[in-house]
Amino acid sequence: MIRIDEARKRFGSVTAVDGVSFVAENGAITGLLGPNGAGKTTTLRMLYAVLAPDSGRILVDDVDAVEAPQAAQARLGVLPDGFGLYPRLTAREHLEYFGELHGIGGEHLSTRIEELLDLLDMRAIADRRTAGFSHGERTKVALARALVHDPQNVLLDEPTNGLDVMSTRAVRSIVRRLKHQGRCVLFSSHVMQEVSALCDSIVVMASGRVVALGSPDELRKQTGHASLEDAFVALADLDRGVRE
Amino acid sequence: MTLLRTVRQAAIVCRKELKDSSRDRRALWSIVFSVVIGPVLIGFMMNRIADRQREAEDVRIPMVGMERAPALVEWLRQQTGVAVEEGPADAERAVRDRSEAVVVVVPDDFAERFSASRPAPLRVVADSSRNDARASVERVRRLLQAYAAEIGSLRLIVRGVSPAAVRPLSIEEVEVSTSQQRAAQILTFIPMFIMVAGFVGGMQIATDSTAGERERGSLEPLLVNPAPRVAFVAGKWLAASLAAVMSVCLTTVLCAQLTRFLPLEDMGVRLRIGPEHFGYILLAVVPMCLFTAALQTTVATLSRSFKEAQSYMGVLILGPMVPGILSALYPLGNAPWMNAVPMLGPYVLLTGVLGGRPPDASALLTSAGVSLLVAAVLIRVTTGLFRSEHIVLGR
Repeated sequence: MIRIDEARKRFGSVTAVDGVSFVAENGAITGLLGPNGAGKTTTLRMLYAVLAPDSGRILVDDVDAVEAPQAAQARLGVLPDGFGLYPRLTAREHLEYFGELHGIGGEHLSTRIEELLDLLDMRAIADRRTAGFSHGERTKVALARALVHDPQNVLLDEPTNGLDVMSTRAVRSIVRRLKHQGRCVLFSSHVMQEVSALCDSIVVMASGRVVALGSPDELRKQTGHASLEDAFVALADLDRGVRE
Repeated sequence: MTLLRTVRQAAIVCRKELKDSSRDRRALWSIVFSVVIGPVLIGFMMNRIADRQREAEDVRIPMVGMERAPALVEWLRQQTGVAVEEGPADAERAVRDRSEAVVVVVPDDFAERFSASRPAPLRVVADSSRNDARASVERVRRLLQAYAAEIGSLRLIVRGVSPAAVRPLSIEEVEVSTSQQRAAQILTFIPMFIMVAGFVGGMQIATDSTAGERERGSLEPLLVNPAPRVAFVAGKWLAASLAAVMSVCLTTVLCAQLTRFLPLEDMGVRLRIGPEHFGYILLAVVPMCLFTAALQTTVATLSRSFKEAQSYMGVLILGPMVPGILSALYPLGNAPWMNAVPMLGPYVLLTGVLGGRPPDASALLTSAGVSLLVAAVLIRVTTGLFRSEHIVLGR
């Protein structure tokens, strides 16, 4: 479970995140929805403790991510924006590296890697260097790397961005599977269909603030729009109206 | 417990960086180049010097008026490496316009005075402003003196006098500098090349694992792993240091092989880098490698891009070269304070070791202590940089 409470973050004169609060429950998929520049990535970065909030509280399974960032990180699997793979390492070596940094090793690590290779259908690419990988193959490596230590909480920053249909479906099925295992999944997206197809609960962000919160149905009701896309546009506009 | 975990994580990072960079062909070639270039250059230079010296031993003597001194010509021709030939008509002009290095002129009255046992004149025409001719001129002069001494002795013996009577002094020159010391003087570049190899060896990993890692976008996922920042920094630094030490070992071995195959004995130089030197060389240079790797890591972390980091490295590499260049211009000596200067200390120690003087413990400790202290400070600074959001996210 992830809880973020009144988190704020400024970069110079720009307020990137302005008092964000929400909860992502276990056994549920929470979508962080918003246009580009809404503060989604900054929010996630504070959650996985690469950025420290200027104020506010962040809890990962009751571990304070500001005071004990490493303990929080140990409970998180993270797919950051842009995968950041090492072109000269093979897919398997990526998993080994991150697994070892998480303190897993030996038999346990190799069993876990075999599991993930099967789960993500990446046996064919396991021992190839990632230099020439397609976008879909990169996503798989980055996703497997995020899951290598079997984390209770999974954060995915725009995981399906730029993926073809097949890879998108593969990612979705993994995300559902994680949910059924009782894990907490939080992922960001600016794509409506994605969020409506997957999420149990949606956090709509605009200009660094949460403008709406709830299940897809609740959001539709709240805005009086039948489609989620219209609801989303209405919410983003609402925020703009408030600011102007 | 946490310390043990941090150390283990640093070792994991170190192993990955070494594996990663060992697959970077361009980086490997640059290291191989930097390791080999020094010994190759030295070999080339030493061979040139040896050739020069052999040229001076093999001397060609153009002689004007050979027919007036047949005995002298005959004697000269019996000496090894000496060729006597007919000299140019205008000896002075030939030397002045550099078509000849030296010309010996036998005047008209030579034979007459020689048979009368009066000093027979010989003219050696040379240009003392020509450095390249000096060795040949010197050789010719020595040959003529040897001939004169031989004839003189014979004349004394004929008159029943011991030649020893005209040698009131027997001068024996004692060379104070050991031949190994002279060798180290000639080979002052070996310490410099060893140090440069140490610097270049760590450079690629230091830049690629910091500035390069950020540019590829892999720094952020890495930092999501539950390890203290110092574990990442230490791992990267350690990998760069190990690569640097490997380069040093390679260059040293190459230089050692080189000193076995070069015609050093011909040059009156006795230098052998043997296994007994390796320990001291490593003691002198390994702390420097730890320091330069830390410096490279810090500077590359501060750089905004991989390219920028590389251009900074181009400037930093002057560091290990400065002592070598300075000492080629004027002798540095060996003052105690020098041990406490990061790049200078190892240089002075290396020069001493190669000169056949094992360094004393206090010099080694001072030099190593200063390098390690500066390295520790730099690692602290870099760890601080890794905590900075600006640095990590490259804002």
